[in-house]
Amino acid sequence: MKIDHSQPLEYGTEQNKMNILGFWIFLGAEIMLFGTLFASYFTLENRIGSGPSGADIFEITPIIIETFLLLTSSFTIGLAIHAMRLGRQKAMLTFFGITLVLGLAFLSVEIYEFFHYVHVGAGLQTSAFSAILLTTLGTHGAHVTFGLLWGLGIILQIKKRGLTVETTNKSFIFSLYWHFLDVVWIFIFSFIYLKGLM
Amino acid sequence: MKELFPRKQVMGFIFSLVLTVAALLVYFLDLSFALGMTVLLVTAFLQAGLQLVVFMHAGESEDKATIYTNVYYGLIIALVTIFGTLLAMIWGMV
Repeated sequence: MKIDHSQPLEYGTEQNKMNILGFWIFLGAEIMLFGTLFASYFTLENRIGSGPSGADIFEITPIIIETFLLLTSSFTIGLAIHAMRLGRQKAMLTFFGITLVLGLAFLSVEIYEFFHYVHVGAGLQTSAFSAILLTTLGTHGAHVTFGLLWGLGIILQIKKRGLTVETTNKSFIFSLYWHFLDVVWIFIFSFIYLKGLM
Repeated sequence: MKELFPRKQVMGFIFSLVLTVAALLVYFLDLSFALGMTVLLVTAFLQAGLQLVVFMHAGESEDKATIYTNVYYGLIIALVTIFGTLLAMIWGMV
């Protein structure tokens, strides 16, 4: 395997570069996926039938907490990649671990939020609005859940094998995924919650 | 310790917090719908661009033209889907 040492290790081989580019193409498809969910949400948000509207059920406090948790976790995974490029494995794993803990905290608040919605009578089958709301939030939440398992797997592998051409490549790709989830959340935060509460 | 917190990323994080607080003003101040939506559109897209450039290192590698082309392509399809749907289903112009 030919390793190009003029590049960061995660870009070190041809295969690594292709993996990263391939993941960017996947993220392009993810942008379109969430685009269709937002299109459906904007179409259905006023079709509340006899159920509650967004303004009736959204609570600003958990939304602010979720936003700060996810923003901070996006920052710490960035720091993890920076530490990785310096070859500081221990610091990298610390930042990586903090990222996943913040992600787990985000998920816990989101699960609380789902309980709250069902409790106040906005379940998946209440109205077109509640259905598309829970589908959009749930798709994002499912991505975060998958990210937690994926990230945990990468941490375990780095502990076992150290920072290699493969593990740095996987970590970098994971960081792209995590930042992307933060971007999607910003749009949910702005155009579902804040728009609904305005 | 200091080398673990690069200036660019710390500034990026602070800026993203500022953008979030700016977006929250829409909730805490009594803005008109048009003004509120303008604020949200500006803060959300700035925030997305910030993540892309500062944290996702989009402009660093030699295939950056390919990466940006791909992201813009995804974005254009998403925006056409969203605004096309709004035109047909909500604004009733088609």
